[in-house]
Amino acid sequence: MKELRILYLYPDILDLYGDIGNIKVITYRLEKRGFKAVVDTYSINDDKPDFESYDLIFAGGGADNEQQILSQDLIKYKEDIKKAVDKGVFFLLICGAYQLFGKYYKGVDGEIIPGLEIFDYYTEANPDRSKRCIGNIIIETNLDGEKVKVIGFENHCGQTYDIKSTFGQVLFGNGNKFNDSSEGYMTDNVIATYLHGPLLSKNPELTDFIIKKCLKRKYNEDVELEKLDDNFENLCRNQLFERFLENK
Amino acid sequence: MKNFFVILFIKGVSFFLKIFGKNGGNLPGKLAFKLNPNILKCFKIDCPVIAVTGTNGKTMTNNCIVRILEDDNKRVISNLEGNNMETGIVSTLIKKCSLTGKIKADYLVLETDESYVPIVYKDLKLDCLVVLNFFRDQLDRSGEVESLILKINEFLKTYDKNLILNSDDPNVSRLAMANPENKNIYYYSVDRYKFATDELREAGEGKFCPFCNTRLKYKYYQYAHVGKFICDKCNYGGNEIYNLLENVDLENRSFEIDGTTYTTKFNSIYSTYNFAAATTVCKLYNTDLISMKNTLENFVLNNGRLEKMVINNNDTIINIAKNPTGANVSLRLVNEDNEHKEILFVLNDNIADGKDVSWIWDINFDVLNNVDRIITSGTRAFDLAIRIKTSNYPVEKIEAYTDIYEAIEHLYEKNTKKYVITNYTATQDTRHKLMRFKEKCGDK
Ligand SMILES: [Zn+2]
Repeated sequence: MKELRILYLYPDILDLYGDIGNIKVITYRLEKRGFKAVVDTYSINDDKPDFESYDLIFAGGGADNEQQILSQDLIKYKEDIKKAVDKGVFFLLICGAYQLFGKYYKGVDGEIIPGLEIFDYYTEANPDRSKRCIGNIIIETNLDGEKVKVIGFENHCGQTYDIKSTFGQVLFGNGNKFNDSSEGYMTDNVIATYLHGPLLSKNPELTDFIIKKCLKRKYNEDVELEKLDDNFENLCRNQLFERFLENK
Repeated sequence: MKNFFVILFIKGVSFFLKIFGKNGGNLPGKLAFKLNPNILKCFKIDCPVIAVTGTNGKTMTNNCIVRILEDDNKRVISNLEGNNMETGIVSTLIKKCSLTGKIKADYLVLETDESYVPIVYKDLKLDCLVVLNFFRDQLDRSGEVESLILKINEFLKTYDKNLILNSDDPNVSRLAMANPENKNIYYYSVDRYKFATDELREAGEGKFCPFCNTRLKYKYYQYAHVGKFICDKCNYGGNEIYNLLENVDLENRSFEIDGTTYTTKFNSIYSTYNFAAATTVCKLYNTDLISMKNTLENFVLNNGRLEKMVINNNDTIINIAKNPTGANVSLRLVNEDNEHKEILFVLNDNIADGKDVSWIWDINFDVLNNVDRIITSGTRAFDLAIRIKTSNYPVEKIEAYTDIYEAIEHLYEKNTKKYVITNYTATQDTRHKLMRFKEKCGDK
């Protein structure tokens, strides 16, 4: 039986906004097709994980004060994580995790939370604490040459700069900064984004794209994914596209 | 404008709203603030002011305290309708005060929204603050939980009156340290109950010690992150308990305090904590215990929270759930009931609900005991259907209708017990449509 090994970083700390749902959706879509999902977790005080041995590494967003605690912990593994990225392990990083993988996060009072410096972008908090990029968001991304709309919910005060290659173009919502045209960061094996929702819950095409990528790398073959019943997902997408794109 | 005229004018406005059949809600308070921003300072209050705050259970705890005090022959003024923000509180005070702004009562008991505690009680002299719990609630509206706690902590630094704290919520009991000089701190706690777990079962806050950032150790979890915790490093959590509820028996709806057994009409651990808070207040203010026992036995709520109806010959239980903790408590009730049943879950994403519905992924749908069908509805019916499906509940047993009335019609196609769970703005709408459907069915 084919399987994917997933490492879920800090599930008990980076657990805001239902990001755990992404793991649930991936597991669900793997198991429905007879694949196995092995989900390991790592958090503070646990033994060091073997990052390179995983097919997919996931981390979500957390509360500001807890994010600081874990930044100190995560930085211990900087070199190991960098190696895993270079080797092609797929990384899915949401919100706080997105920021932590960049150069740094500069808080409202100018304090710097160092990032892993794996990617070149950096984030600065919006000086006005009460102003956050909040709301439903729809972007258009390119998955292996196919244009796909991705829908989620953003909630961040950080403004992220210096993005080399974006995850998608904003059709509705803010993106990396207030009123930005681009959202997130994407390379061949990385998707880093502000989209909660949880991200994968309403975007089955994106989920399958990630699953396919991981399977291909692991088994060195194009794995055909059986079609699933996405009736609720499609109804949901159509309803929200109509609501946010057509009545804009 | 002079205080006298403001009060007179607003009283007039409230009166007209009443004539036209409108409840008024926050409107009189809003007007009063426009006319005099310092209106809160203008009331003459001689009696103790008791405020109840926290994420979940404010209305129930508040109303329970009021009932106990009233049954003990005290005159109480309170915002029983749950208008718990600044303007709602002013509306209540204006309605109940004399023309000179005098409040004639033995107690003023005010349910107060968490973010408004520092604002309202800067001007209104508080005698007792009751803090229930802090959970994730509409994060996109009020900022994150932590910043809310810090605001209240800041307010408490100069507060030296009675402070009643839930000892079992690490987010709450930390407030005791805000003012180390304050000797009037009273903790309440609920002893381990039958369904408590050794591991965290539902989403929770506060995994780290707020004083030394060490991971907190739990002896057990009652629900969410509420339970017996301790910090190994600095001993945070080892509180002396003023009011302890023991021998909690949900089947018989009873618990013990100081050797006396109290029976209620509620059967959830979550309501038990509300009773723990309410009884702490009454213990502190020396309420008659026999009268309190009697009050607790009869106390009910009738605003959509755990309401029971019979519709089309089917027992129907309605419950409000505006965040993961509330929803998990509702589902615990579903699962503790062995009868076959169907669930209607209504989820809206209006501004008052918080536009972000991702919290439904923190609801535990993994275990559903004898649930034959789940119907989802509201503006986010499909999000909910996807969430439930992903928990591996059979997709063919899930139906989604954005229209609430249509969902209700489908719900009563089959004769079984029904559980209706609704989030904030969905509650009244669903209730009205249930009543309309009930009338159409010819039920009396
Ligand atoms: Zn500590």
